[in-house]
Amino acid sequence: MIQKLLNIDRRWIFLFIFVGVAAAMLSPLPLPIRPSSDVKNVYNTIESIKGKPNATVLLSFDYGPGSEPELQPTAISIIRQCFRNNIKVVGMALWPDAVGLAQAAFDSVSRAEGKEYGKDWTFLGYKTGSVTLILNMGEDFHGAFNVDYRGNKTSEMPVTQHIAKLGSFDYVVTLAAGKTIDGVWVTYAVDRYRIKLGGATTAVTSPDMFPYLQSGQLNGLVSGLAGAAEYETLVRTQGSATRGMQPQSAAHLIIIISIIIGNTMYFVQRRRDRRQSVSGNEETRS
Amino acid sequence: MIFLKRTLPLVIAFVMGIVAISIYYIPHQAAVDLNELLSKWDRIIAAFAAFLGVYSLLYLHAGRLKRRQVGWGYSVFVYLGFVVMLTAAIYNNGAGPLVALRKGGAYDWLYTNVFVAADASMFAILSFFIASAAYRTFRARTTEATILLVAAVIVMLGRVPIGALLWESMPELQQWLMNVPNMAAKRGILLGVYLGAVATALRIIFGIERSYLGGDE
Repeated sequence: MIQKLLNIDRRWIFLFIFVGVAAAMLSPLPLPIRPSSDVKNVYNTIESIKGKPNATVLLSFDYGPGSEPELQPTAISIIRQCFRNNIKVVGMALWPDAVGLAQAAFDSVSRAEGKEYGKDWTFLGYKTGSVTLILNMGEDFHGAFNVDYRGNKTSEMPVTQHIAKLGSFDYVVTLAAGKTIDGVWVTYAVDRYRIKLGGATTAVTSPDMFPYLQSGQLNGLVSGLAGAAEYETLVRTQGSATRGMQPQSAAHLIIIISIIIGNTMYFVQRRRDRRQSVSGNEETRS
Repeated sequence: MIFLKRTLPLVIAFVMGIVAISIYYIPHQAAVDLNELLSKWDRIIAAFAAFLGVYSLLYLHAGRLKRRQVGWGYSVFVYLGFVVMLTAAIYNNGAGPLVALRKGGAYDWLYTNVFVAADASMFAILSFFIASAAYRTFRARTTEATILLVAAVIVMLGRVPIGALLWESMPELQQWLMNVPNMAAKRGILLGVYLGAVATALRIIFGIERSYLGGDE
């Protein structure tokens, strides 16, 4: 019986996960979401620049559709917070497949908050180079991006005409799925151009970011879907991340229960094996 | 031929490597201008990598189709996806390929309803495999494995709201694990990685590491 349970067909485990996640999605049980200090730091930095003339935040979309469920809610929340505080937002992408996601986030929030393209926000699109693009932006923003995604000159748009270089932004937030935060932004933008940087990343990448948080190279971090839900709580909006906390909690619980059951079976089996080997030895001796 | 295949790339790597490092430390406008020029060149060269990537992908799958290798049907989808997306992007809802992508066209629809949905689903499937792997392999066989297991359970619970419901201090304990032991281990690993990267860069600049030249180098 125990051997059978230890070698259970993995499709049963898939079924448990499916049923658990589906049940959590269908039965709304409100869970308390407490924003962590790392998430609050990003939120508070944006709050601190409101009221400043020409306050502008640069949002870099450095992720693909695979990370959309985790990072898109944070992007939407940050744009919403900026628009509500009359802070200008400039979007760009270091990943080519982020362009559609960035546009979707900007379109939905700007429509809801009544913000105007070119005056309150703009999207610069994707450009190759990654590190070298950051270096170009650090020296001459209009040289690096002379036109936006729609072909408007950045030196003429009210949202970007006051931006001379990367350091002109009041805050830069990178939404990154891979190694873009530490491999590109921290190394080249923060250390060289002394910008203030906040990050949002997938849960699987976030443990790598803690050394940069402690050193102050990253002033805040929104980590995974849980971080996105915390940010939604701070901007007082219930979005897909907040709704995602129930199925995610269910999935985590099922995984933990699986670990406990798996280990219980393992120890019971091990004890039996030991007993059998001891009794086998005694029989041989007698 | 040896000059073009070996000597010239080594000279370029050496000169550009030394220049790129030097200009970082020269506080003069000429160095800044040169840096900007070089980084623009770099971006242009990087753009060509996309063409190389496409060629490599299509060449690989053409080989699979030719040999009728196991799973060749997936290669048909690669070609199908490539041709359909490329056609939709060039057509660009009637505006042509020389302007920014228009909204509401076939490409937009395919991106949102096929690419985004499929890619996000691929990532979501991980949850099923993690649960299965956790049940089968995450065993407290040794003291180290037990510590790892307990830490993993605390982090998994502390990261979601249900953890705080079970025990109020769970998120704080999780945060401590991330801020102290995790951070210390990560810092050690990162220092090693970056020292290794510096060593590799120096080996390339001085022509000791030549594997990037390909062939028998």
